Amino acid sequence: ARPGGRMARAEPPAATFERRVLRSAAEHHYLRVRLELPDGGARPSVAQFKQLVVSALRELHGEVGAALPVDVLTYEEKTLSAILRVVSSGLVKLWSALTLLGFYQNRRCAFRVLQTSPFLLALSGNSRELVLD
Amino acid sequence: AALSRRYVLCEVVSEDPRCRQCIEDRAVGLAVRDAIGRVHGDYGLACCSISFTVKYLNAYTGTVLLRCRKDSYRLLCSALPFVRQLESRSQRHPCFLNTLHVGGTIRTCQKFLIQYNRRQLLMLLQNCTNEEERRCVQKSLLSCSLTEEQSQSGDEEDDGTE
Repeated sequence: ARPGGRMARAEPPAATFERRVLRSAAEHHYLRVRLELPDGGARPSVAQFKQLVVSALRELHGEVGAALPVDVLTYEEKTLSAILRVVSSGLVKLWSALTLLGFYQNRRCAFRVLQTSPFLLALSGNSRELVLD
Repeated sequence: AALSRRYVLCEVVSEDPRCRQCIEDRAVGLAVRDAIGRVHGDYGLACCSISFTVKYLNAYTGTVLLRCRKDSYRLLCSALPFVRQLESRSQRHPCFLNTLHVGGTIRTCQKFLIQYNRRQLLMLLQNCTNEEERRCVQKSLLSCSLTEEQSQSGDEEDDGTE
């Protein structure tokens, strides 16, 4: 009676390696986003930025969406870019809510998602903004 | 089967006896839609509204049968506890919805409703306080029968002494 595992072959040799495949096992997903406010008005602070994200979720996905655990890890007021962290199961809700957000305090705005990854380290380099000299 | 639907059977429970006149299909449909919009947002509202109707309503017993798509019945069921009041003719009465049964066809919901009503009548009989009520309930229990046109068993209702 051999315990059936992922490698249920006839007779495994003396174990040299074991392969485990985990699909979408990361707990959180990270998004680097930039808010575009074409009119040169007052820039939102970090609290107002988070309020904007949560209100976008509330509009599209209701109270259930607004209760999604979203964190703003970094925020730069000058460039209006931020790194958001969300539970992996809520990535689709967050991304769709950011896409469909059109107004901030009655001013036209748009969210651009620059990078996304299940690993925070991957957001440190962006080959699109690489400058070759 | 290409188009699958789910039928959700619930009952409207309220302490206010005047709420019974508020129970109509438009009022209940609007209240449920409003609750879905609050809890699940624009996306949830649009998802559930595709094939959403109030299929059957009984104001005496407060039984409501809702229909929705199979893909979105979970959104509907999770939003039903958030219905707090019914509004009709500019009157609003507080109430809540109790989910009794979720079925795939109207027929299964009807079978369940018949059994449920039978049990409710027996419980009413047990909880009767005076002899007069007892005789009334017994008479109607013995007189109700299933005719060919599927008459609803147990339509007789107490006078709000629920």
